[in-house]
Amino acid sequence: MDKLHKKLFLNEEEISLDLLPENIEQADVYDITIIQSEGKCTARINLEPVKDSLSKVFIKIFAENNALVDCVCTLNVGKECSGIDTDVQFRSWPFDRSRIQARPEMFIKNGNIIAAHGNALGTLSDEDKYYLNSRGITNFKEMIKRSLIDEE
Amino acid sequence: MLKLKNLTATIGGKEILKNVSLTVNRGECLLITGQNGSGKSTLLHTIMARPDIDARGEIELGGNSISDLECYERARLGLFLSHQSSPTLDGINTTSLFFEMAKIKNDSLKKIDVIKKAKAAFRDLNLPDDWTRRDFNVGASGGERKKNEIAQAKMFTPNVLLLDEPDSGLEQSSRSKVIDLIEETKAAGGIVLLVTHEKVLQDQYSNNRIELNDGQIA
Repeated sequence: MDKLHKKLFLNEEEISLDLLPENIEQADVYDITIIQSEGKCTARINLEPVKDSLSKVFIKIFAENNALVDCVCTLNVGKECSGIDTDVQFRSWPFDRSRIQARPEMFIKNGNIIAAHGNALGTLSDEDKYYLNSRGITNFKEMIKRSLIDEE
Repeated sequence: MLKLKNLTATIGGKEILKNVSLTVNRGECLLITGQNGSGKSTLLHTIMARPDIDARGEIELGGNSISDLECYERARLGLFLSHQSSPTLDGINTTSLFFEMAKIKNDSLKKIDVIKKAKAAFRDLNLPDDWTRRDFNVGASGGERKKNEIAQAKMFTPNVLLLDEPDSGLEQSSRSKVIDLIEETKAAGGIVLLVTHEKVLQDQYSNNRIELNDGQIA
Protein backbone atom coordinates (compact mmCIF):
# COMPACT_ATOMS: atom_id res chain seq x y z
CA MET A 1 0.00 0.00 0.00
CA ASP A 2 1.20 3.49 -0.81
CA LYS A 3 1.62 5.66 2.25
CA LEU A 4 -0.66 8.69 1.96
CA HIS A 5 0.20 12.01 3.59
CA LYS A 6 -2.52 14.66 3.32
CA LYS A 7 -2.10 18.35 4.09
CA LEU A 8 -4.65 21.13 3.79
CA PHE A 9 -3.72 24.80 4.06
CA LEU A 10 -6.49 27.40 4.35
CA ASN A 11 -5.63 31.06 3.80
CA GLU A 12 -2.03 30.84 4.97
CA GLU A 13 0.40 33.67 4.24
CA GLU A 14 3.43 31.40 4.33
CA ILE A 15 3.76 27.68 3.95
CA SER A 16 7.02 25.85 4.48
CA LEU A 17 6.96 22.11 4.13
CA ASP A 18 9.66 19.46 4.05
CA LEU A 19 8.79 16.17 2.38
CA LEU A 20 11.17 13.30 3.14
CA PRO A 21 10.07 10.20 1.22
CA GLU A 22 11.71 7.02 2.50
CA ASN A 23 9.49 4.21 1.22
CA ILE A 24 11.21 1.84 -1.20
CA GLU A 25 8.73 -0.96 -2.01
CA GLN A 26 5.73 1.37 -2.19
CA ALA A 27 5.39 5.08 -2.74
CA ASP A 28 5.03 7.95 -0.31
CA VAL A 29 2.10 9.93 -1.74
CA TYR A 30 1.78 13.57 -0.68
CA ASP A 31 -1.60 15.16 -1.32
CA ILE A 32 -1.23 18.87 -0.62
CA THR A 33 -4.14 21.28 -1.00
CA ILE A 34 -3.83 25.05 -0.77
CA ILE A 35 -7.03 27.11 -0.61
CA GLN A 36 -6.53 30.86 -0.75
CA SER A 37 -9.57 33.11 -0.54
CA GLU A 38 -7.76 36.36 0.23
CA GLY A 39 -4.36 38.05 0.11
CA LYS A 40 -1.11 36.38 -0.83
CA CYS A 41 0.32 32.98 -0.01
CA THR A 42 3.95 31.99 -0.51
CA ALA A 43 4.48 28.24 -0.39
CA ARG A 44 7.88 26.56 -0.40
CA ILE A 45 7.82 22.80 -0.54
CA ASN A 46 11.09 20.97 -0.23
CA LEU A 47 11.25 17.40 -1.50
CA GLU A 48 14.30 15.36 -0.39
CA PRO A 49 13.91 11.67 -1.18
CA VAL A 50 16.32 9.08 0.21
CA LYS A 51 18.16 6.59 -2.04
CA ASP A 52 15.88 4.16 -3.98
CA SER A 53 12.67 5.77 -2.66
CA LEU A 54 9.40 6.18 -4.55
CA SER A 55 7.28 9.30 -4.17
CA LYS A 56 4.40 11.17 -5.76
CA VAL A 57 3.50 14.74 -4.88
CA PHE A 58 0.13 16.21 -5.88
CA ILE A 59 -0.21 19.92 -5.18
CA LYS A 60 -3.72 21.31 -5.69
CA ILE A 61 -4.13 25.07 -5.50
CA PHE A 62 -7.46 26.92 -5.44
CA ALA A 63 -7.48 30.74 -5.38
CA GLU A 64 -10.41 33.17 -5.41
CA ASN A 65 -11.21 36.84 -4.74
CA ASN A 66 -8.13 38.22 -6.42
CA ALA A 67 -5.80 36.16 -4.22
CA LEU A 68 -2.22 35.38 -5.22
CA VAL A 69 -0.47 32.07 -4.65
CA ASP A 70 3.21 31.59 -5.36
CA CYS A 71 4.16 27.95 -4.93
CA VAL A 72 7.52 26.30 -5.61
CA CYS A 73 8.22 22.62 -5.09
CA THR A 74 11.96 22.01 -5.01
CA LEU A 75 13.38 18.55 -5.59
CA ASN A 76 16.83 18.04 -4.07
CA VAL A 77 18.70 14.91 -5.05
CA GLY A 78 22.20 14.48 -3.67
CA LYS A 79 25.11 12.71 -5.41
CA GLU A 80 24.67 9.53 -3.36
CA CYS A 81 20.88 9.29 -3.93
CA SER A 82 20.51 6.94 -6.90
CA GLY A 83 17.39 4.93 -7.78
CA ILE A 84 14.91 7.64 -6.86
CA ASP A 85 11.58 7.67 -8.69
CA THR A 86 9.53 10.79 -8.06
CA ASP A 87 6.66 12.67 -9.67
CA VAL A 88 5.50 16.20 -8.86
CA GLN A 89 2.13 17.30 -10.26
CA PHE A 90 0.53 20.72 -9.84
CA ARG A 91 -3.11 21.48 -10.57
CA SER A 92 -4.44 25.01 -10.24
CA TRP A 93 -7.92 26.52 -10.09
CA PRO A 94 -7.72 30.30 -10.28
CA PHE A 95 -11.08 32.14 -9.95
CA ASP A 96 -12.09 35.82 -9.77
CA ARG A 97 -8.92 37.22 -11.31
CA SER A 98 -6.72 35.38 -8.85
CA ARG A 99 -3.22 34.41 -9.87
CA ILE A 100 -1.44 31.18 -9.23
CA GLN A 101 2.24 30.74 -9.94
CA ALA A 102 3.17 27.12 -9.51
CA ARG A 103 6.46 25.61 -10.57
CA PRO A 104 8.82 22.78 -9.83
CA GLU A 105 12.54 23.35 -9.31
CA MET A 106 15.00 20.53 -9.57
CA PHE A 107 18.54 20.25 -8.21
CA ILE A 108 19.74 16.82 -9.23
CA LYS A 109 23.26 15.54 -8.74
CA ASN A 110 22.71 11.88 -9.61
CA GLY A 111 22.08 10.56 -13.12
CA ASN A 112 20.26 7.40 -12.10
CA ILE A 113 16.86 8.79 -11.12
CA ILE A 114 13.39 9.42 -12.58
CA ALA A 115 11.95 12.87 -11.89
CA ALA A 116 8.62 13.47 -13.62
CA HIS A 117 6.66 16.66 -13.25
CA GLY A 118 3.55 18.31 -14.65
CA ASN A 119 1.45 21.40 -14.33
CA ALA A 120 -2.19 21.72 -15.35
CA LEU A 121 -4.97 24.24 -15.14
CA GLY A 122 -8.22 22.92 -13.67
CA THR A 123 -10.78 24.42 -15.97
CA LEU A 124 -14.33 23.39 -16.74
CA SER A 125 -15.37 23.12 -20.38
CA ASP A 126 -18.85 24.06 -21.59
CA GLU A 127 -19.64 20.33 -21.66
CA ASP A 128 -18.54 19.97 -18.03
CA LYS A 129 -20.72 22.94 -17.03
CA TYR A 130 -23.69 21.51 -18.89
CA TYR A 131 -23.19 18.20 -17.11
CA LEU A 132 -23.14 19.90 -13.71
CA ASN A 133 -26.18 22.00 -14.67
CA SER A 134 -27.98 18.81 -15.63
CA ARG A 135 -27.41 17.73 -12.02
CA GLY A 136 -28.91 21.01 -10.76
CA ILE A 137 -25.53 22.52 -9.87
CA THR A 138 -24.71 26.13 -10.80
CA ASN A 139 -22.06 27.33 -8.38
CA PHE A 140 -19.05 25.56 -9.87
CA LYS A 141 -16.47 27.50 -7.89
CA GLU A 142 -17.99 26.59 -4.52
CA MET A 143 -18.42 23.02 -5.67
CA ILE A 144 -14.72 22.69 -6.52
CA LYS A 145 -13.65 24.46 -3.33
CA ARG A 146 -15.79 22.27 -1.12
CA SER A 147 -14.67 19.22 -3.00
CA LEU A 148 -11.00 20.06 -2.43
CA ILE A 149 -11.59 20.77 1.27
CA ASP A 150 -13.99 17.94 2.06
CA GLU A 151 -12.54 15.01 0.18
CA GLU A 152 -13.95 11.89 1.73
CA MET B 1 -47.34 13.65 -17.64
CA LEU B 2 -44.59 14.87 -19.98
CA LYS B 3 -45.94 16.53 -23.10
CA LEU B 4 -44.00 17.84 -26.09
CA LYS B 5 -45.88 20.01 -28.56
CA ASN B 6 -44.40 20.83 -31.96
CA LEU B 7 -40.85 20.69 -30.60
CA THR B 8 -38.23 21.91 -33.03
CA ALA B 9 -34.52 21.96 -32.22
CA THR B 10 -31.77 23.72 -34.13
CA ILE B 11 -28.04 23.37 -33.49
CA GLY B 12 -25.59 25.67 -35.23
CA GLY B 13 -28.23 26.67 -37.78
CA LYS B 14 -29.14 23.08 -38.62
CA GLU B 15 -32.63 21.89 -37.81
CA ILE B 16 -32.31 18.52 -36.07
CA LEU B 17 -35.82 18.01 -34.66
CA LYS B 18 -38.91 18.97 -36.64
CA ASN B 19 -42.29 19.44 -34.94
CA VAL B 20 -42.04 16.52 -32.56
CA SER B 21 -45.17 16.03 -30.46
CA LEU B 22 -45.62 13.25 -27.94
CA THR B 23 -47.04 12.46 -24.52
CA VAL B 24 -45.65 10.11 -21.87
CA ASN B 25 -47.70 9.40 -18.75
CA ARG B 26 -46.45 8.81 -15.23
CA GLY B 27 -45.32 5.23 -14.76
CA GLU B 28 -44.63 4.78 -18.48
CA CYS B 29 -41.49 4.14 -20.49
CA LEU B 30 -41.31 5.45 -24.05
CA LEU B 31 -38.80 3.71 -26.31
CA ILE B 32 -37.23 5.97 -28.92
CA THR B 33 -35.57 4.27 -31.86
CA GLY B 34 -34.12 5.45 -35.14
CA GLN B 35 -30.94 5.43 -37.12
CA ASN B 36 -27.78 7.28 -36.13
CA GLY B 37 -28.29 10.99 -36.67
CA SER B 38 -32.08 10.77 -36.61
CA GLY B 39 -32.29 13.12 -33.60
CA LYS B 40 -32.80 10.70 -30.69
CA SER B 41 -30.09 12.12 -28.43
CA THR B 42 -30.95 15.66 -29.47
CA LEU B 43 -34.53 15.04 -28.34
CA LEU B 44 -33.33 14.10 -24.84
CA HIS B 45 -30.89 17.02 -24.68
CA THR B 46 -33.62 19.41 -25.83
CA ILE B 47 -35.85 18.22 -23.00
CA MET B 48 -32.89 18.80 -20.65
CA ALA B 49 -32.30 22.31 -22.15
CA ARG B 50 -28.74 21.96 -23.38
CA PRO B 51 -27.62 25.56 -23.86
CA ASP B 52 -26.42 25.27 -27.47
CA ILE B 53 -29.79 23.93 -28.65
CA ASP B 54 -32.24 26.51 -29.93
CA ALA B 55 -35.59 24.95 -29.08
CA ARG B 56 -39.04 26.03 -30.17
CA GLY B 57 -42.38 24.55 -29.27
CA GLU B 58 -43.73 23.58 -25.90
CA ILE B 59 -42.56 21.21 -23.17
CA GLU B 60 -44.96 20.56 -20.31
CA LEU B 61 -44.42 18.57 -17.16
CA GLY B 62 -47.43 17.80 -14.98
CA GLY B 63 -49.49 20.37 -16.89
CA ASN B 64 -46.96 23.19 -16.36
CA SER B 65 -44.78 24.62 -19.08
CA ILE B 66 -41.06 24.12 -18.48
CA SER B 67 -40.07 25.52 -21.89
CA ASP B 68 -38.53 28.66 -20.43
CA LEU B 69 -36.63 26.92 -17.65
CA GLU B 70 -32.86 26.60 -17.73
CA CYS B 71 -31.16 23.23 -17.60
CA TYR B 72 -30.41 23.40 -13.84
CA GLU B 73 -34.01 24.41 -13.10
CA ARG B 74 -35.30 21.39 -14.98
CA ALA B 75 -32.84 19.19 -13.09
CA ARG B 76 -34.18 20.60 -9.83
CA LEU B 77 -37.69 19.63 -10.93
CA GLY B 78 -36.48 16.04 -11.08
CA LEU B 79 -35.41 15.65 -14.72
CA PHE B 80 -32.37 13.42 -14.92
CA LEU B 81 -30.38 12.77 -18.09
CA SER B 82 -28.16 9.72 -18.13
CA HIS B 83 -25.54 11.08 -20.51
CA GLN B 84 -24.24 8.97 -23.34
CA SER B 85 -20.74 10.24 -22.64
CA SER B 86 -20.24 11.82 -19.25
CA PRO B 87 -17.18 13.99 -18.59
CA THR B 88 -14.13 13.65 -16.38
CA LEU B 89 -14.27 16.31 -13.66
CA ASP B 90 -10.79 16.80 -12.26
CA GLY B 91 -10.87 18.31 -8.79
CA ILE B 92 -14.51 17.40 -8.21
CA ASN B 93 -14.72 14.53 -5.83
CA THR B 94 -17.54 12.05 -6.55
CA THR B 95 -18.91 12.18 -3.00
CA SER B 96 -18.94 15.99 -3.00
CA LEU B 97 -20.86 16.01 -6.27
CA PHE B 98 -23.42 13.51 -4.97
CA PHE B 99 -23.73 15.42 -1.68
CA GLU B 100 -24.44 18.61 -3.62
CA MET B 101 -27.08 16.78 -5.65
CA ALA B 102 -28.64 15.45 -2.44
CA LYS B 103 -28.78 18.96 -0.95
CA ILE B 104 -30.42 20.32 -4.10
CA LYS B 105 -33.00 17.57 -3.86
CA ASN B 106 -33.71 18.81 -0.31
CA ASP B 107 -32.61 15.47 0.91
CA SER B 108 -31.86 15.67 4.60
CA LEU B 109 -29.18 13.02 4.22
CA LYS B 110 -25.88 13.60 5.99
CA LYS B 111 -22.69 13.25 4.01
CA ILE B 112 -21.94 9.88 5.59
CA ASP B 113 -25.36 8.65 4.46
CA VAL B 114 -24.71 9.87 0.92
CA ILE B 115 -21.43 7.95 0.95
CA LYS B 116 -23.19 4.80 2.17
CA LYS B 117 -25.87 5.15 -0.48
CA ALA B 118 -23.29 5.76 -3.21
CA LYS B 119 -21.20 2.78 -2.12
CA ALA B 120 -24.28 0.54 -2.17
CA ALA B 121 -25.20 1.76 -5.67
CA PHE B 122 -21.64 1.29 -6.93
CA ARG B 123 -21.36 -2.15 -5.34
CA ASP B 124 -24.61 -3.20 -7.04
CA LEU B 125 -22.96 -2.34 -10.37
CA ASN B 126 -19.65 -4.05 -9.53
CA LEU B 127 -17.80 -0.78 -9.11
CA PRO B 128 -15.28 -0.62 -6.26
CA ASP B 129 -16.13 1.23 -3.05
CA ASP B 130 -13.26 3.66 -3.50
CA TRP B 131 -15.13 5.27 -6.40
CA THR B 132 -16.70 7.60 -3.86
CA ARG B 133 -13.24 8.98 -3.05
CA ARG B 134 -12.13 9.49 -6.63
CA ASP B 135 -12.45 12.64 -8.65
CA PHE B 136 -15.48 12.23 -10.87
CA ASN B 137 -14.85 9.72 -13.67
CA VAL B 138 -11.07 10.14 -13.46
CA GLY B 139 -9.52 6.97 -14.86
CA ALA B 140 -12.95 5.51 -15.69
CA SER B 141 -13.61 3.43 -18.80
CA GLY B 142 -16.64 4.05 -21.03
CA GLY B 143 -18.59 1.25 -19.36
CA GLU B 144 -17.70 2.51 -15.88
CA ARG B 145 -18.97 5.97 -16.80
CA LYS B 146 -22.27 4.42 -17.86
CA LYS B 147 -22.46 2.62 -14.53
CA ASN B 148 -21.79 5.90 -12.73
CA GLU B 149 -24.80 7.44 -14.54
CA ILE B 150 -27.01 4.47 -13.61
CA ALA B 151 -25.82 4.64 -9.99
CA GLN B 152 -26.78 8.33 -9.77
CA ALA B 153 -30.22 7.68 -11.26
CA LYS B 154 -30.76 4.90 -8.72
CA MET B 155 -29.65 7.11 -5.85
CA PHE B 156 -31.79 10.13 -6.70
CA THR B 157 -35.03 8.59 -8.06
CA PRO B 158 -35.88 11.11 -10.80
CA ASN B 159 -39.38 12.18 -11.86
CA VAL B 160 -38.31 12.08 -15.50
CA LEU B 161 -35.51 9.73 -16.45
CA LEU B 162 -33.89 10.38 -19.84
CA LEU B 163 -31.70 7.43 -20.80
CA ASP B 164 -29.34 8.03 -23.71
CA GLU B 165 -27.97 4.62 -24.71
CA PRO B 166 -27.48 3.55 -21.09
CA ASP B 167 -26.41 0.04 -22.09
CA SER B 168 -23.72 0.66 -24.68
CA GLY B 169 -20.32 -0.38 -23.35
CA LEU B 170 -21.84 -2.27 -20.44
CA GLU B 171 -21.03 -5.91 -19.86
CA GLN B 172 -23.95 -8.32 -20.30
CA SER B 173 -24.42 -8.89 -16.56
CA SER B 174 -24.96 -5.18 -15.89
CA ARG B 175 -27.58 -4.69 -18.59
CA SER B 176 -30.28 -6.09 -16.33
CA LYS B 177 -29.50 -3.18 -13.99
CA VAL B 178 -30.80 -0.80 -16.64
CA ILE B 179 -34.10 -2.70 -16.73
CA ASP B 180 -34.20 -2.67 -12.91
CA LEU B 181 -33.69 1.10 -12.96
CA ILE B 182 -36.46 1.64 -15.52
CA GLU B 183 -38.87 -0.55 -13.58
CA GLU B 184 -38.05 1.13 -10.27
CA THR B 185 -38.59 4.57 -11.80
CA LYS B 186 -41.91 3.52 -13.34
CA ALA B 187 -43.06 1.94 -10.08
CA ALA B 188 -42.31 5.20 -8.27
CA GLY B 189 -44.55 7.05 -10.76
CA GLY B 190 -41.69 8.40 -12.82
CA ILE B 191 -41.54 8.89 -16.57
CA VAL B 192 -38.83 7.20 -18.66
CA LEU B 193 -37.63 8.06 -22.16
CA LEU B 194 -35.25 5.39 -23.43
CA VAL B 195 -32.91 5.68 -26.39
CA THR B 196 -31.20 2.39 -27.16
CA HIS B 197 -29.91 0.21 -29.97
CA GLU B 198 -29.86 -2.85 -27.70
CA LYS B 199 -32.29 -5.48 -28.96
CA VAL B 200 -33.10 -6.96 -25.54
CA LEU B 201 -34.14 -3.56 -24.22
CA GLN B 202 -35.98 -2.68 -27.42
CA ASP B 203 -37.97 -5.92 -27.20
CA GLN B 204 -38.77 -5.32 -23.54
CA TYR B 205 -40.25 -1.85 -24.14
CA SER B 206 -41.51 -2.12 -27.73
CA ASN B 207 -45.19 -1.75 -26.78
CA ASN B 208 -44.73 2.02 -26.31
CA ARG B 209 -42.38 3.15 -29.00
CA ILE B 210 -41.71 5.92 -31.49
CA GLU B 211 -39.22 5.92 -34.32
CA LEU B 212 -37.43 9.07 -35.36
CA ASN B 213 -36.49 9.57 -38.96
CA ASP B 214 -34.63 12.72 -39.97
CA GLY B 215 -35.85 14.54 -36.85
CA GLN B 216 -39.50 13.61 -37.27
CA ILE B 217 -41.67 10.90 -35.78
CA ALA B 218 -42.00 8.30 -38.51
